[in-house]
Amino acid sequence: MILPIGPIHPALKEPVRLKLKTEGERVISAEIDYGYVHRGIERVMEGKTWQKGIFLSERVCGICSYIHTQTFAETFEKIAGERVPLRAQYLRSLTNELDRIQSHFIANSTYFKAIEHETLFMYMLHLREPVMDAIELLTGNRVNMGWNVVGGVRMDAEEKHLNSIHQIITNLEAEYDKYVEMFDEGPLVGLRSKDVGKMSREDAIKGRAVGPIGRASGLKHDVRENHHTYQDEFDWKVIWRKEGDNYARTMNRFDEITESIKIIKQIIENIPPGDVRKKINIPAGYADWRNEAPRGEVTYMAETNGNLIKKISIRTPSIMNIDVCGKYMLQDVATVADAVATYASVDPCVACTERVVILNEKGEKQVFDGLHKVKYLK
Amino acid sequence: MLDALKDVVRKSSIHVCLINTGGCNGCDIEVVALLSPRYDLEQYGIYVHNNPREADVILVTGPVTEQWKKNLQRIYAKAPEPKVVVAIGNCPLTGDVFNQEGCSVYAPVSDFIPVDAEIPGCPPRPSEILAAILAVGPDAIAAKGRKKP
Repeated sequence: MILPIGPIHPALKEPVRLKLKTEGERVISAEIDYGYVHRGIERVMEGKTWQKGIFLSERVCGICSYIHTQTFAETFEKIAGERVPLRAQYLRSLTNELDRIQSHFIANSTYFKAIEHETLFMYMLHLREPVMDAIELLTGNRVNMGWNVVGGVRMDAEEKHLNSIHQIITNLEAEYDKYVEMFDEGPLVGLRSKDVGKMSREDAIKGRAVGPIGRASGLKHDVRENHHTYQDEFDWKVIWRKEGDNYARTMNRFDEITESIKIIKQIIENIPPGDVRKKINIPAGYADWRNEAPRGEVTYMAETNGNLIKKISIRTPSIMNIDVCGKYMLQDVATVADAVATYASVDPCVACTERVVILNEKGEKQVFDGLHKVKYLK
Repeated sequence: MLDALKDVVRKSSIHVCLINTGGCNGCDIEVVALLSPRYDLEQYGIYVHNNPREADVILVTGPVTEQWKKNLQRIYAKAPEPKVVVAIGNCPLTGDVFNQEGCSVYAPVSDFIPVDAEIPGCPPRPSEILAAILAVGPDAIAAKGRKKP
């Protein structure tokens, strides 16, 4: 029997359609359809100036909106062959890590909602709100910040605000372990999560899984290792695990929050004085740049004539992660409830994934979705 | 008598369905933030469960994309009367940054379904969304329910 879930369904927060092939309660295989939120963002960007493009890039995804502006700015800084002042690099890393913390909290809360653990769901949202306050203190807005510009950041952070953020992060660190332990040691939560939705390292390589999903399956790959600020300035390590199940993915995100807290403390203690913005002249040229978004690797490929964006291509992590979820994780799952929990554990962000339209032979518009024509039925 | 009783019931238990018609997710996570203990949506008798067949209030976020042109009206028809539509954010009102040459969005959302309340902002703060739902929700639902179809 084919059981369709979505696009509007109590279990889903975003419009996507899961088609589960079931035998009784057992899920044999799954197919994921998307294409509901395609807005044509890359097409709109072409022909606009890069000053306008950065605002469009922010609205590729609402949850990890910050990293898109940073990657866009760094792509154009690479075309110019310049780097922003060191204080601006520190402030960018600070916002990036705060954004990662809030994104991982909302990802884990969605997973706990999917396994019907309402208490932890509420605790995660409770922990997230102070982090949102910290983002608002620093940038002036909660979600779409408008904080990055090509050449630096828009405004300097005041000393008292940095101290408040340090206080918020210290408070978070003090009570954070209690909630991780609730998940880690709780027997029922463990039973619902361990050995469910397993993906091996080979499958992760074949499906090109990135971010916490790949790292939970043993792919030790984090683009921050190659980023100049993280390489030169901070002391941190890549978090990875071997199990590859729902438990590993959730714990991987929890451990990354701990690592982000460590980085934020280093940033606030060592932030150098100086300018936060410099004027950069953009020549004509092409560049690509990769950054680590909360969900994995995000790539921007941009070509400009010095003023207008000629061509831009954005590759977000969720497309690969949702793909491996349908291909490898949702094969032979014990119950339908576990299948929904597995889908929630890959932290799907549908708004990220859909930016391409293809024309068929008759010239009709058709939204491109990697899985639409391909069926992963055995 | 019956109307008065129905008014009380309708005002104190509001079911909300969230439809993302192509937004960037920013407004959606602000609605999720409303569930957090700080704002606590459920203390007002509002329950978010994303099921259009039981919904009293439909929250629409996002400009209307190609796939949603027909589906939005279908989902609106499935919600039982009386119902109220609240448009969250700039996208359902004007299309925001997406509504430019070469785009594939069909804003505003009021071309497709009737909208009762609008909250501008990119995204609006959770407290604004809560205030709008409370301002329009209970009374409008009760008033619509009294009208004979």
